[in-house]
Amino acid sequence: MPLITLDGVSYRYPEAERPALVDVSAAVEPGQVILLRGPSGSGKSTLLRCLNGLVPHSTGGEFGGRVIACGLDTRTHAPRELGARIGFVFQHPDAQFVLDDVEAELAFGMENLGLAGPLMRKRVEEVIDQVGINHLRRRRIDTLSGGERQRVAIAAALAVHPQALVLDEPTSQLDPQAAEDVLQVVMRLVAELGMTTVIAEHRVERIAPFVDRIWTLDAGVLKDQGPRTALTEGGARPPVVDLALRAGWTPIPLGLRDARVYAQRLPKPPPCPPPDFREPGWGPVLCRVENLDYRYGAVPAVRGLTLSLRGGQITALMGRNGSGKTTLLKLIAGLLRPQHGAVRADVRAAYVPQDADALLFSATVEDELRGQPPAVAAPFQRWLHRYPRDLSSGERQQLAIAVVAAQADVLLLDEPTRGLDPLVKKALSAFLRIRAAAGAAIVIATHDVEWAARTAERILLMAEGEIYADGPPGAVLSDSLVFATQISKLVGGGWLLPEQVPL
Amino acid sequence: MIRHPLAWCAWATAALAAAFIDRNPFLQALLLLIVINIFIPYRGGRQIRIWKIGVALAVVPIIFSVALSRFGTHVLFTLPGIPIIGGRWTLDAALFGASTGAALLLTVAVFAVVQTTVRSADLLAVLPRPFYRAGTTVALALAFAPKTVASLQSIREARQLRGQRAGWRSAPQLLLPLLLTTLERALQYGESLDARGFGSRRRSRYRSVPWAIPDVLVVVGSLAALAAIVLVPVQPYNPYLNLRPSAPAVNNILALVLLAIPAITVSLSRMDHAAHHA
Repeated sequence: MPLITLDGVSYRYPEAERPALVDVSAAVEPGQVILLRGPSGSGKSTLLRCLNGLVPHSTGGEFGGRVIACGLDTRTHAPRELGARIGFVFQHPDAQFVLDDVEAELAFGMENLGLAGPLMRKRVEEVIDQVGINHLRRRRIDTLSGGERQRVAIAAALAVHPQALVLDEPTSQLDPQAAEDVLQVVMRLVAELGMTTVIAEHRVERIAPFVDRIWTLDAGVLKDQGPRTALTEGGARPPVVDLALRAGWTPIPLGLRDARVYAQRLPKPPPCPPPDFREPGWGPVLCRVENLDYRYGAVPAVRGLTLSLRGGQITALMGRNGSGKTTLLKLIAGLLRPQHGAVRADVRAAYVPQDADALLFSATVEDELRGQPPAVAAPFQRWLHRYPRDLSSGERQQLAIAVVAAQADVLLLDEPTRGLDPLVKKALSAFLRIRAAAGAAIVIATHDVEWAARTAERILLMAEGEIYADGPPGAVLSDSLVFATQISKLVGGGWLLPEQVPL
Repeated sequence: MIRHPLAWCAWATAALAAAFIDRNPFLQALLLLIVINIFIPYRGGRQIRIWKIGVALAVVPIIFSVALSRFGTHVLFTLPGIPIIGGRWTLDAALFGASTGAALLLTVAVFAVVQTTVRSADLLAVLPRPFYRAGTTVALALAFAPKTVASLQSIREARQLRGQRAGWRSAPQLLLPLLLTTLERALQYGESLDARGFGSRRRSRYRSVPWAIPDVLVVVGSLAALAAIVLVPVQPYNPYLNLRPSAPAVNNILALVLLAIPAITVSLSRMDHAAHHA
């Protein structure tokens, strides 16, 4: 008997031209882990909101078919009745809390159920341990980081003892370390409690090994498949799957551990030839950073840093949170004034912050692009009359880059791939290559190793305000434990990407 | 430490009455000192940017009053016939503005204390059942304020990145994106409340805040202070009538001393701790 049944569900938002969901049928059995994937704008959030009745109860629109969640038909039962059975974790870490301290927030859902005081107390203690947030229990929500907030949100959802947990891209607004922490919590709940989980998530390689079914959405049409079939067909998938498909390994390994068995059968790959670190092909030095120092109060953020950036070069700047990446970019862009040392650049440098949404606030794309030369506006001809915040995340990112940095010769991007799906990331790579080919120097602060390995020609590793490694991806990323691609962990020898490995 | 939200509500009411009713500058200065002395031990390392707003609110009335009011006998200087601001600028008007500004600054300070000391969950827990929904709405609205300030800041930064001026003239252009961000957030809150079962019939309470002796002391003290301020009428300070403020009334000084109880209890408990350690 399935826990959740979707039966021919179709849905159209009010005033929308096209339906968001088209005849979706699927089922979730108790204890299953379901990964929901699909490009941004394909209807993932809409589908998840159907599971607890937010669609159509809070959204309106035309709803067809039926959803039976934990024995309740969502057409006749409001989301607040389903709240006790389906725990829901939203994408934005800051817009789902009602009260201002952690413990009260954990109890909020139980209070709404009218549970007795001692029982609530017991459950609060339990979820605190399950999620590992004992150190946060006395804190106020507004002092928590994004990753901590998402863990509190998961704990709060868990406290009502739901029969299933639904997570809508819980990590897309987080930096990778925080995202990792949150996913670890989810994986632990799955392993220890056998929690029935439906999760939309871009970091497929992290959860693919644990997944029972993969739901793939494309323009509102759902495919419900076993993980191997789904990953073979395409869409977002881990690099080991790409390699396995090339090498013809069957059954396909879903994670590194499975893949190791097959990798041993590969002929020992020769060390990767030093990648085309084509120094002569690069343009002139556009920006030189000399002996740069910057501190916030007593805390040093950048220390004695020297660096030069050449035109035509895409550089990835990597390092843990708080290592000084953003500060360095802001210093190069001239948004912060160096306290010591100098940034020498004769050209315009532009900085695109993490939250590209904050940059867009006109009524139409056309308004956003007003005053830009025609060449910059050209790629956006198709959406000139659309509302910028209705664009997909990738489109917004491109528009933000265009309005802030279209004419800059030094382009500085802060975590541009956060929350983007693989297709959009690929498009962003291509866009940056075009800009680099036109002579721009590009620096990207990112945690996204796979994307950096694919996109950048030069990698800088940063810690404690200093750059401790500088070189081509093959050299820097291959002998690293933290900043290694999945393929490099599997094969070694300086090979980073599945399509490079000789078979 | 004072914990009970009702104790803080009583204190805030009395403090606001003290700030507005008498307007005696000596008392206002004393009250500001008391509020700061309460704020510091209770803030727990949190920085409150609201002080800047408080100072701005204190200065603006002075400027407006002195530039626009033509009343008063103590002339500072006379501007030639410029429209609106031309004419006599008087000390009386400046002091009147300062007195209003001080009351506004005190209001902000009192709310800053309440904001740091009262947790919305505690406040909800002491509300009578019928007020629960309304209370939650107010709690959400209160949580909105700092977030709105934060989004305003990020919008301003974004505009600077795009090379647009961040001056007063751009204020209307900031307003629309601010409104949009706030509306988007409000919708998300609505969904979250729904998904977490808010508004069902049954309802229980996780936390009950116990009354401790210091809490009771604060309530009694604040009520006594309020009575002293409201029941014994004094001529409020008015610089247009008399530039020099009169000596503060005894009952009002006593009231302010009672308002210092939260600071005194903290000091006492610290001395207690110190004695234990010795």
